[in-house]
Amino acid sequence: MKQMPQVCREIQEDLVATAVQEAGARARERVQDHVARCAPCRGEFERYRVLDETVGILKREPTPAVEMAARAELQVRLADLRSRLLTYRVFDSPLGRILIGRTEQGVSLVRFLGRGGVPRLPGLEAVRGGEEIRRLYRELLEYLQGRRTRLEWPLDLRLARSDFHRMVLELTARIPYGAVTSYANVARDLGRPSAVRAVAQALRANPVPIVIPCHRVVGADGDLTGYAGKRIGLKQRLLAVEGIQTVRKPGDLRVLREAMYVRDGHEPEYCVPTCGALPRRSLAELTLFASRERAESCGLRPCTTCRPDLHPLPR
Amino acid sequence: MTDDRFDGLVTAHHGEIYRYLRRVTGRVSDADDLSQETFLRAFRALGSLPPEANVRAWLFAIATNLCRNHFRSETRRRRAYAAVGAEDRGGRDPGPEAETLFHEARDRVEAAVALLPLKQRMAFTLRKLHDLDYAAIGRMLQCSAESARAHVFQAFRKIRQTLNHLKTPCTEARR
Repeated sequence: MKQMPQVCREIQEDLVATAVQEAGARARERVQDHVARCAPCRGEFERYRVLDETVGILKREPTPAVEMAARAELQVRLADLRSRLLTYRVFDSPLGRILIGRTEQGVSLVRFLGRGGVPRLPGLEAVRGGEEIRRLYRELLEYLQGRRTRLEWPLDLRLARSDFHRMVLELTARIPYGAVTSYANVARDLGRPSAVRAVAQALRANPVPIVIPCHRVVGADGDLTGYAGKRIGLKQRLLAVEGIQTVRKPGDLRVLREAMYVRDGHEPEYCVPTCGALPRRSLAELTLFASRERAESCGLRPCTTCRPDLHPLPR
Repeated sequence: MTDDRFDGLVTAHHGEIYRYLRRVTGRVSDADDLSQETFLRAFRALGSLPPEANVRAWLFAIATNLCRNHFRSETRRRRAYAAVGAEDRGGRDPGPEAETLFHEARDRVEAAVALLPLKQRMAFTLRKLHDLDYAAIGRMLQCSAESARAHVFQAFRKIRQTLNHLKTPCTEARR
């Protein structure tokens, strides 16, 4: 092969670039000038140009028919993935690091993380979520600041461990804002008055604390007993958000029953705790309310014996 | 991003991602697997995608990444080379002579593209068949935009050489 003249060697790169439409205006001009005068480079230019044209044919080729089959299979796999995908984010909340996760059906996990990482979730695949989870957190924050009394989130209770747990959770979800009741009362409402421990177990395994307000369930003597492991301080703070006061006692905290209005069972009235019409019962059959407003927002009327409307508890 | 928007994304980009993977892997079965995997990954990663991101370039980047992992196995790479040209060609009607020549030119270029080293093949395909810019291609191949451009030019030279080796360069077919 003959040695290529210097000028041709130098212009080779621009020549290829021009022929395949990747060159700037100046390079293009130089190349056009050159190939007009140099026959071998003109041939080379032409070969690259035709090559580029042929590449253009490949580019314009229609998508092969097999692509449709691949897409259909993708849709099936996507549907499967969607059904078991949990999107989550971790936030530094006023209550510490907290994880919020949801599936396509609804919120399925709220977890106080402490120093731990994302937990293993049987049957679910966890991936980091985006704006939809941030929006949930903003609402949760409003709730913790007392600017919102309900978290009206669609829930997916598939992480509950059994149907019994699910029933306990659904019942607990109905305990109103600003009220507390006991494990025994939940068990009674469930029609299983002896299943107090099982109710406590179910609430301990609550996959969506705060949203399902298991912090509103306490011992029959008013003791907070436990929350998210040993984080009893969290339970106290969540109750305080709703205006429910607690007092210290050795080894535990207890709700301040004397400062709360009382509903007996499913009576349509609420009383002051000293009401004479109120049978002396343990919290096992009572619900306590932080204020008259809270009781009345549940449709309860003031008791006609103790008249909490005329003689309210001192604030 | 809602599920509906993701469906829209599949409709808009599955075809080209599939073609890209088909071209780079040389095998329909690999394109099937990798295109599905590309979109499943995209679906999982949607939450971490900034709203202003270029979704198309992002999908190509996922596909490219999967492809590179796929070809990390040397055996697979060899098998893919051997498979090149074997698929999807048998059924074409022998048309009038000019058209046959035309198709031959196309087939030879396609075969030459398939013989390129992986990085050049990817850069070439992304640039010339899918019009991505060099900066984006560079990010996908973990090199600079300049290197990405160099890969494309190197690819053109290699294709040209391969066609010379075949003694009947594609250029002849159209004369």
